[in-house]
Amino acid sequence: MKGYFGEFGGQYVPETLIPALDELEQAVSDSFRDEIFWDEFSSYMRDYVGRPTPLTCAKRLSAHYGLDVWLKREDLNHTGSHKINNAIGQILLARRMKKERIIAETGAGQHGVATATVCALFGMPCAVYMGTEDIRRQHINVERMRLLGAEVIPVESGTATLKDATSEAIRDWVTNVDSTYYLLGSAVGSHPYPHMVKMFQKIIGEEAHSQILEKTGKLPDAVIASVGGGSNAIGVFSAFIDDPVELIGVEAYGRGNGKNGASINFGIPGVLHGARSHLLQDTSGQVLDTHSIAAGLDYPGVGPEHSYLSTIKRASYRLVDDSQALAAFRLLNRLEGIAPALESSHAIGYLEQYAKEHEKTTVIVNLSGRGDKDIHTVLEEGL
Amino acid sequence: MISDAIRNKNRAVIPYITAGLPDLETTGEIIRALSDAGAAAIEIGLPFSDPMADGPVLQKASHMALQAGFTMEGLMENLEGWTSSTDIPLIIMSYINPIMRGGMKETLESFRGEGVQGVIIPDLPADARDLFNLCRGIGIDLIRLVAPTTTVSRKKEVISGCRGFVYAVSVKGVTGARTALPEEVSSQVKAIKAMTDLPVCVGFGVSTARQVDDMLAFADGVIVGSHIMAVIMDAPDPVKAAYDCFRELGME
Ligand SMILES: Cc1ncc(COP(=O)(O)O)c(C=O)c1O
Repeated sequence: MKGYFGEFGGQYVPETLIPALDELEQAVSDSFRDEIFWDEFSSYMRDYVGRPTPLTCAKRLSAHYGLDVWLKREDLNHTGSHKINNAIGQILLARRMKKERIIAETGAGQHGVATATVCALFGMPCAVYMGTEDIRRQHINVERMRLLGAEVIPVESGTATLKDATSEAIRDWVTNVDSTYYLLGSAVGSHPYPHMVKMFQKIIGEEAHSQILEKTGKLPDAVIASVGGGSNAIGVFSAFIDDPVELIGVEAYGRGNGKNGASINFGIPGVLHGARSHLLQDTSGQVLDTHSIAAGLDYPGVGPEHSYLSTIKRASYRLVDDSQALAAFRLLNRLEGIAPALESSHAIGYLEQYAKEHEKTTVIVNLSGRGDKDIHTVLEEGL
Repeated sequence: MISDAIRNKNRAVIPYITAGLPDLETTGEIIRALSDAGAAAIEIGLPFSDPMADGPVLQKASHMALQAGFTMEGLMENLEGWTSSTDIPLIIMSYINPIMRGGMKETLESFRGEGVQGVIIPDLPADARDLFNLCRGIGIDLIRLVAPTTTVSRKKEVISGCRGFVYAVSVKGVTGARTALPEEVSSQVKAIKAMTDLPVCVGFGVSTARQVDDMLAFADGVIVGSHIMAVIMDAPDPVKAAYDCFRELGME
């Protein structure tokens, strides 16, 4: 059926949005077949975002773990994370669709900053929904968005985090559907969003694929990425999906006390924000409160393609908790001179477990973003 | 039958209430009060943690009902008492996830078994044919929404997969009272009526007797939700408040 990955995905939205999704689907299919569209995308990736990003050999980290670790440096993108790849792609689409106004949700603020940035670049009005809890812990990004000319709209409902910001963005979209483009920040939501976002993030995997071959002459044994909604992970996985390479997504285990962001590990298939995928929910079908020290992983759902990859056992999804992520944050600072985002720190943090079961294997870790935004949080926890 | 219940009323008004607010027992009393006050049918909204099609009032109602301890189990224990206490049809409005959680078929069958006559699911899958067939097999009406943005071909698809009545959404947007409803509602309803024999009811935004009159000039029925819930949530006696509020919307 249309827009499904196995039994996951689909379009579960208020009727008002059906024509908007049809319109988007048409624009996606036209643009994706148009070389001019991809030429434009590539030129922004190169001349504005600064791609390709390097694949860095992490020598001291490798020695520490007895592995051969390569870091895909999405932290070096303009605005500091992989989110800009998707934001550029979607704003080019929105322009083609002649939309006048952009809205977005944000958790860590990275997607909000990326969206505010592309709106400044193209001179479009921008409203970003953000939970008040996230506004508190990702304050630097709130100020950045405001500097970029975006309106940051605080969301107090529910848990005041990413899921509530997303619901509020959808409510705005239903209300202003004719003029407004919803620039969704991860590989979640209704068809065609998960597919479209993957196509814009695929560039991470494509670059990493040719870089690792060039540098080591062979494919890696594993590719590791953090999974919030799943956009950086699907972006890097997609280029290795047909290769004999282990794909490992890392979910946020929170404080290990039952509240976490690990939808695939602890969720049951259900519908949130327009698609069917693994969802953290109670026996009445109410969505559970989540917790992760990484705001971008603090979400009860996950992109439908990850649910599918997990079900067919093509990818596995592992757990890293708050304190392991913090330890990884400190470790990468000390050993490589790199401050990773707390989201990316979950992927780095998994190496500790991985190294216990593997020796001298080659792994690529997707360093999805830089950690400047998190220094405040890390300091609160103590160096 | 839901469609007959609407047709047999000169002034078919369908109130929406959130289940479990302030508690399930009071919900039962509110249902009886609204039935006594002359409701054509009652829409019972199941609270959901993430009601993306609802405005501030129904979000708050959902949140408060969950805080007050609403569960699916509790609902099932009360449903039969509610449906047998009145002659008018009870319709369940729920986001799809709470229904899916217990199994679509099992949950819908239980609703039917307890005497519920229809369901409204604001986030049902775009291709709802399987769901429609499931509901038809169970004997519960799947009431579908038509929005101001719905295209002609989509309208055909929705209407052919709809029973009970067609729910015409008056505005682009979420639920919540509006001071003015768009002019286009009348042509929208007329266009739907030209395509089906089912009754067509207008919902979203209606809060005054005047608006009810305006809508009933061309529609078969009107749904009033946020207005009633706002009154119920603020009242010391929610049962009496619901009754009075409904009477103020105007009688036959
Ligand atoms: C740096 C970084 N990495 C990862 C994520 C998680 O999102 P996704 O799973 O879509 O990559 C975020 C989200 O905010 C982020 O900012």
